[in-house]
Amino acid sequence: MEKIIAINPGSTSTKISFYQGEQEIWTEKISYSKDEINSFEHIIDQLDMRKKDIDELLDKKNVQITDLDAVVGRGGPFKPLQSGTYRVTEPLLKDIREGNVQAEHVSNIGAVLAFELAKRGGIPSFFVDPVSVDEFEPPARLSGIPELERKSLVHALNVKATAHKTAERLEKPLAELNLIIAHLGGGISICPVKKGKIIDANNANEGGPFSPERAGTLPVSSLLKLCYSGTYSYSQLKKRIVGNGGISAYLGTNDLRDVIARIVKGDEEAQLVFDAMIYQIAKEIGAMATVLKGDIDAIVLTGGMAAEEYLIEALSERISFLSQVFVFPGENEMESLVLGVLRVLRNEEEEKNY
Amino acid sequence: MGKDYTVLAINPGSTSTKVAVFNNENALFTKTISHSSDEIAGFNTIADQYEFRAELIEKLLREENVDMKSIDVVVGRGGLLKPIPSGTYKVNEIMVEELRSAKYGEHASNLGAMIALTLSKHLGIESYIVDPVVVDELDPIARISGMPEIPRRSIFHALNQKAVARKAAKELNREYSDVNLIVVHMGGGVSVGAHRKGAVVDVNNALSGDGPFSPERSGGVPANQLLDLLVKGAMTEKEIRKRLIGNGGIVAYLGTNDMRKVEDDVKAGNADAVLYHEAMAYQIAKEIGACAAVLHGEVDAIVFTGGLAYDELFLNKLRTKISWIANTLVFPGEEEMESLVSGVLRVKRGEEDYKEYVAE
Repeated sequence: MEKIIAINPGSTSTKISFYQGEQEIWTEKISYSKDEINSFEHIIDQLDMRKKDIDELLDKKNVQITDLDAVVGRGGPFKPLQSGTYRVTEPLLKDIREGNVQAEHVSNIGAVLAFELAKRGGIPSFFVDPVSVDEFEPPARLSGIPELERKSLVHALNVKATAHKTAERLEKPLAELNLIIAHLGGGISICPVKKGKIIDANNANEGGPFSPERAGTLPVSSLLKLCYSGTYSYSQLKKRIVGNGGISAYLGTNDLRDVIARIVKGDEEAQLVFDAMIYQIAKEIGAMATVLKGDIDAIVLTGGMAAEEYLIEALSERISFLSQVFVFPGENEMESLVLGVLRVLRNEEEEKNY
Repeated sequence: MGKDYTVLAINPGSTSTKVAVFNNENALFTKTISHSSDEIAGFNTIADQYEFRAELIEKLLREENVDMKSIDVVVGRGGLLKPIPSGTYKVNEIMVEELRSAKYGEHASNLGAMIALTLSKHLGIESYIVDPVVVDELDPIARISGMPEIPRRSIFHALNQKAVARKAAKELNREYSDVNLIVVHMGGGVSVGAHRKGAVVDVNNALSGDGPFSPERSGGVPANQLLDLLVKGAMTEKEIRKRLIGNGGIVAYLGTNDMRKVEDDVKAGNADAVLYHEAMAYQIAKEIGACAAVLHGEVDAIVFTGGLAYDELFLNKLRTKISWIANTLVFPGEEEMESLVSGVLRVKRGEEDYKEYVAE
């Protein structure tokens, strides 16, 4: 069986998993305090600290790098890329070092950590379906004014992994299926997946349904008014759109368990806001159904919120007229990374060049 | 057939006033009085123009030899009032005062009720407005945006949406209050409304940068990127507003809002025209799909109306994307005068009660 280490850097942690084939052997999380993280000016500067801690962990776990077949790191908001499993190579490392990426984000260093580790064992390193996967068709790129373009930034790792799982469930090749995949997490991505390709997606930072932490689509004129009202600074407003928008802005919590607890106690505001989020998710799914001209083999709900029964029931009631609904709860990032690498190691898929 | 009604209808635009006299559903005449910018420049506010325009209308009616005594009722285009349920409203002093002071914003349509009341007083008859743009029947759930400071609002082409929805219901041999429809008004702005059993429970606000882009408006745009654009300072607030309404959408991409020209360019194979024409259909279709989810997929018909509904090529692009949802009906154009008159006739014939406007 193939031995693979997967590395997933988060804002205050690094998650490491060891897999043999599809089998997870162990997963560990190295946590950092906010102070530790804030002592670095740029995310890339955290590299040595995170590297050292990964080495220590692998030592402790008696993992020999030379025994491994590959290392895989989480991909970041790199330049727009085709979907797939990419080998980490010098041109990517150069772009990350020089900041030629769409945003500064901690996931950018996942590939670097994977590369550095793999180098020492003389084994290949990969990243899989980063958020910058871009398979939009031309009409999907237009916003309504030439100054702004709709950009493909999407939870591609989970969306693609879920697409593969759905194809298996339906016992059909992904290339013959039309799916709508809804990634329901802190941010929400609703994607029409046409024959394996994500041809449109609400960019969770820019539009679509509101989510536990993000505002989604906003009435633009009112937003402009708010901008010029002096009520908020630029960075406060940014925060109000991503990070502290959506459910968090209405209810003061982004924790779905709190929201559900309040609903159970009869809190009408919590009920209305939660129902409104489900309503907006349903609308976005309906919108994406027209992108596929109504020819939909399944609607697939995934991500952390897909474990919430009330949400799944309420949502299904609105959208089940479109197609059958499948649920794959959880984000499963580590597994998705490993499966992407396995497809390449097993020659089921060709690796892509950055 | 019951009693005959002669109705005077008034529809003020920014540089013109449209006047029609109807006998029941039949237009006896329709005329547009143009106002030069010089004439209008003399007034401080739009509301100040009401007497001036009323006099011009009376002069026109004399010239047209309309027997003033034959007029039974006056109807004016509704303006920016507080959010109200759909219907035919009797013009009253409270309404006129709010329009005069532009309490809810300045717009040429605010003159409709003011002129109607002036003329109706002269004639000793009643005056009404019908389905102004502020008609609001949104479900509570549809008011939530994602940011508490800026709720979603119902401002849309209510007059035409409601009028064609009734026509569509008639064509389906059903009552409007009994059907679920998606009405797609496609003019300079585009509004897509989910009509559930007679109420527009959700609709994109075509005046607020929401929904699909249209010949003259941007529709919704990426919020975060918009902030970045503002902060860069390359465009002023006014320029950006203009980009959202008036100078956005097709006119921003192609330099024209003349959709007949765009259609010709599409037919000639102009690649830009093909892309933007397609993209507008793409976004409108998405809004229709969203409304289908609002209605749980129970849609009796999708109804196309407005000037763009004359464009067969465009309609076909839309149909390929949405015809799986429901049958489509087409009522091209925007029969504002007829819609105003129909609203009043329903009340006069006792098919519907008129509504009384009260202050907020």
